Amino acid sequence: MNARIRGIFEDAGVRGWLHAVSLDEPEASVELDADAVVPLASVYKLPLLAGFCRLVDLGELDPRERVTLEPSARTAGPTGLSAFADPVTVSLRDLALSMATVSDNASADALLDIVGLRRLAQILESFGLRRTWVRRGTAANLRDLQRRTGADDADAALAVLADNDRTDPVGVYEAANGSAASARDLTLLLRRLWAGELLSAEQTEFVKTTMHRQIFLHRLASGFPHDGVRVAGKTGTFGALRHEAGVVTLPGGAAFAIAVLTLAARGDLRQPRVDAAIGEAARVAVDVLR
Amino acid sequence: MITERHLQIFIALAEEQHFGDAARAVGITQPPLSQGLRRLEALVGSKLFERGAGRVELTPAGVALLPYARRALTSIEELHQAAVARDPEGPEIRLGLAPEVPPSAGAAVAAACGSMIPGSRVTVVTAPTSSLVNQVGTGRLTLAAVLHPAVLDGLEAGPVSLLPTWALVPAATVDTEVVALRQLKGLPIAVRPRAEAPAARDLFLDTLALHRPDGGTVVVTDERAGLAMAAAGQAIVVTADPALIAPGVGRHRLADDPLPLRLRLVWSRTRTPFLRPNDVMAQLTEALAS
Repeated sequence: MNARIRGIFEDAGVRGWLHAVSLDEPEASVELDADAVVPLASVYKLPLLAGFCRLVDLGELDPRERVTLEPSARTAGPTGLSAFADPVTVSLRDLALSMATVSDNASADALLDIVGLRRLAQILESFGLRRTWVRRGTAANLRDLQRRTGADDADAALAVLADNDRTDPVGVYEAANGSAASARDLTLLLRRLWAGELLSAEQTEFVKTTMHRQIFLHRLASGFPHDGVRVAGKTGTFGALRHEAGVVTLPGGAAFAIAVLTLAARGDLRQPRVDAAIGEAARVAVDVLR
Repeated sequence: MITERHLQIFIALAEEQHFGDAARAVGITQPPLSQGLRRLEALVGSKLFERGAGRVELTPAGVALLPYARRALTSIEELHQAAVARDPEGPEIRLGLAPEVPPSAGAAVAAACGSMIPGSRVTVVTAPTSSLVNQVGTGRLTLAAVLHPAVLDGLEAGPVSLLPTWALVPAATVDTEVVALRQLKGLPIAVRPRAEAPAARDLFLDTLALHRPDGGTVVVTDERAGLAMAAAGQAIVVTADPALIAPGVGRHRLADDPLPLRLRLVWSRTRTPFLRPNDVMAQLTEALAS
């Protein structure tokens, strides 16, 4: 089976890492280099979402509390508050919603500031995640990339990664330099979230609902072209990294936590074959487990 | 006892000022790097670096001791090289060349291997990129010139060399010396099998489709077959080989060089101690592009 998944990754021109596990029978799993620690790109917003909800449960954060984000202080990005022109006043839970459903960088960095790296690390450890590190958000990630590329702004730095005629700067895709996790740890987080082991019933429901509302359907969901299959997920894209971690629920109710992490050989910003390969690998894994 | 590894860690940290980057430069992970540093500091009896938030800086003691460490490491490297040079057999360099590498460029790399590494015995094989990457990874090859982009899976890789390409077209099809890709109508372009290097081939095909929406491609086993098809008036060959020619086939530069041959040297850091001096790989890269 691994040979088949390996073949999908080879054909798409990516290095791939995968872990898939049945929520009801966690001893049944499909894995490919599942313990390797991989830079997460925007998938770090998933552990951040869980950490935020935990602080709500503990009464340390009020989900209805409002913050105002000024345009000048917001992280750049293509979606959500990152794309807005004017100051925005928004509740913490809506920041979490925007972060998780449209991968809004501005909302994610604002929420990460409020949650705090240290507090988040303690929560993730209490969740039993031994190979998950949220070391920085998107703004810090882009600053690091600018430093490594010597580019004047984030767009120019990302253009260096997208250029197939140039060598990637050293360290850009090193797990040790940023937020990172193993595929197995990501499915462990999802499995425990879905089982209600980490959060209150209310916050568990918030996480599930929010993840089901993610708008991106080109990766995991593309492997399940049937409306009867439900897919809740969080994607991550940075340079040549293409990821998604999520939960796939079949019409009968059987559900599977899946993390597919990839690093493409090509640098192009748009790589539909890679997106489709993530869905295909997920479907092959689910077919083995069901 | 101070070891070679301790010296490498000390110098890499001083240069990179970052634990993750230094670990990468040494070719180890972060925990053994930190451990090695602590051991070295215990051995020399002083703290060498201040560890701040995200930055690592030399202490005054570190500044004072760094030049000694550099001298010691240089001496050890000279010892390695002297030992290699004295070996009556000399190191064996097994060089792999992708079939797309022009014969003259492959010959230049092989010749440079022989002259850069005294006493070495060079053997050469030709194989598709995916096979070469595998063979370098398992140690069956010392280094290889492969197509870029390709999934490299932890191998070391030099810069991307761009070689210009020519279109070989049946005589009388085109009458100008330089031809735009979109002018080459009516005949398929000969390409090698996609599985040999999926990412590089897709990049070639996607670029081709952008410039030349119709005309299609035909799969050939090698340039010999492609050239024969061109002579028979059945196909167009895109080649980086400056010498490939046949009666009845015209050679034309492609305007703006839209389909350059992208090549990279790959090798394994752990298996090739005699390739360690950076200037060796720089010379070999130069030979590839010359």
